[in-house]
Amino acid sequence: MTNQQEIRDPIHNFIRLDPSEIKALDSAPFQRLRNIHQLALTYLLYPGATHRRFEHSLGVMELAGRVYDVVTDQSNIKHDSVKDVIPYDLMKYWRRTLRMAALCHDLGHLPFSHAAESHLLPEGWNHERLTMQFIRSDEMKPIWDSLKVNPEDVAKLAVGPEHYKERSFSDWEAILSEIIVGDAFGVDRIDYLLRDSYHIGVAYGKFDHYRLIDTLRILPREYRSSEEETGSLEPTLGVEEGGLHSAEALLLARYFMFSQVYCHHVRRIYDIHLMDFLQAWLPCGQFSTNAEDLLRITDSEVTSELLAAARDASHPAHVHAKRVVGREHFRLLYQRNPEDQKMNRRSSQRIFNAARDRFGDSEVRYDSYRQKSGGLDFPVLVKDKRIMSSLSLSDTLARVPVVAIDYVFVSLGCRRKADIWLKENRKEIIASKGDEDE
Amino acid sequence: MMKKSQRDAVLLSLVREMIARGSWCGETHIQKAAYFLQALLGVPLEFDFILYKHGPFSFDLSDEITALRADALLRYQTRPYPYGSSIVPADEAQSFLDSYPKTLKRYADQIGFVADKLGNMGVADLECLATALYVTLNQNGQSGQRAEQIPRLKPHISLEEADLAVQRIDEIMGEARDLRISMS
Repeated sequence: MTNQQEIRDPIHNFIRLDPSEIKALDSAPFQRLRNIHQLALTYLLYPGATHRRFEHSLGVMELAGRVYDVVTDQSNIKHDSVKDVIPYDLMKYWRRTLRMAALCHDLGHLPFSHAAESHLLPEGWNHERLTMQFIRSDEMKPIWDSLKVNPEDVAKLAVGPEHYKERSFSDWEAILSEIIVGDAFGVDRIDYLLRDSYHIGVAYGKFDHYRLIDTLRILPREYRSSEEETGSLEPTLGVEEGGLHSAEALLLARYFMFSQVYCHHVRRIYDIHLMDFLQAWLPCGQFSTNAEDLLRITDSEVTSELLAAARDASHPAHVHAKRVVGREHFRLLYQRNPEDQKMNRRSSQRIFNAARDRFGDSEVRYDSYRQKSGGLDFPVLVKDKRIMSSLSLSDTLARVPVVAIDYVFVSLGCRRKADIWLKENRKEIIASKGDEDE
Repeated sequence: MMKKSQRDAVLLSLVREMIARGSWCGETHIQKAAYFLQALLGVPLEFDFILYKHGPFSFDLSDEITALRADALLRYQTRPYPYGSSIVPADEAQSFLDSYPKTLKRYADQIGFVADKLGNMGVADLECLATALYVTLNQNGQSGQRAEQIPRLKPHISLEEADLAVQRIDEIMGEARDLRISMS
């Protein structure tokens, strides 16, 4: 403990690193995260949301280590099939690799994080691929050598099986990557929900993560689909029964934070205006994927250009910059709602298409988001040692809604006309269906 | 190439047909059935499958199932121990399917074939069979070599189970030959 460095953190109190891990912290790719906002332009709505990917990544590393210690504790491993999966002779190696993967999992984020990266990178690139590129870079190689970890293992755990396609994951590697990026209990999500709600000043992202982490277990998904079946022995992350309510609270926190904060319509339209600005300003409308180039561009450089462009009417991205800097963002005209959805599943697109025909392409914008996956069905170890589906134990989980938004925005200049137009034509537009089966 | 809404119609129809054949139809059942439909029969669902949870698994498909829940086309149906949860057509499913008669007719034979072969299988058997198909499609070799590969990828599957799964896959592939959709 004496050689460990302690970093103060508002969420986890202390984050501890040993001297060799500090080298990764001090590297240029990691220090770049000091200048990448965790929540893009959300600070324009919630002024407290100025925190960065830097402290989030430290938090993810701290939590990954804590979860690893709990789930690999001998007293917490009760099934033979799980014992077979754990490489007991390499426990220190995998703990260090997991912590470094957690620390580096966001290295490849573009300036302002998630804002429309698919439009701002060449085909086939995303922030996960850039993360792997940084982890494999010449700059990081001596750090991995001194830590005695394989950079491919770090890359694999950092981005998970969805993005690491070179080799398939062993059961053990799948569990370790699940600790970081898992759908139900990934510490990436645990940290960002707690940290974002703290900085924004909302309470509904909070939950008892101490209790949750203490009850996480590696469990076979033994529950069945028929009387005759024995269930699969494939291991995954689950909880002991005592942690089920904390797990419910986590998944509800995710729902509330997505519906109230991450998908707030003003946050979403700022992301669109920022994307328009970047496409008009960047060479060929895209970021470079070269690591050296990326190290030189952060939110600081983008903000500086944004402010200059807003003041300069001859700047190619002037109009987009003014919308952000001058708070002249497009206003919400229409949003998806259950009543209209019943009449026409594509009601939002119909309204968007009709509004565009009426007011012109440049005056109308459309935005859509669907929650990724679910994470609601996980194994729960109950007191009599049976393993049950979380959904059969918790009515709450089965009723957690799916976050789905569709927004239609119009420019400030068209807002009043558009409101009146929509009021007069809404029913007729939604009623028109057309043949979808062509 | 199918539109996304047409692909949703194929998925919903697959779920409906699996349930009609007695399937429990949890997410694993849908994942493996969609894999057979795409990889074995060439139905252009365009999901990206990798070897992961219980064999071939698509994150895109998992997201699509969630999106279909958001649109009230699918819903969870929970059951008491020892069963896992099912995913079943929801309130809006039938009227949605009624809008896609051409798409459903085009792929009806392929959907029916997969539902016939997998509809009565549980998670453990599906995991073994779908992994056997994955190994067969991604690795040339005699049945013995393919069977040996399966426990290496999924250590909780025994060699005996893998052997049977590879034999069964060879039979199914033979039966499926006339139903396979050519991409050209």
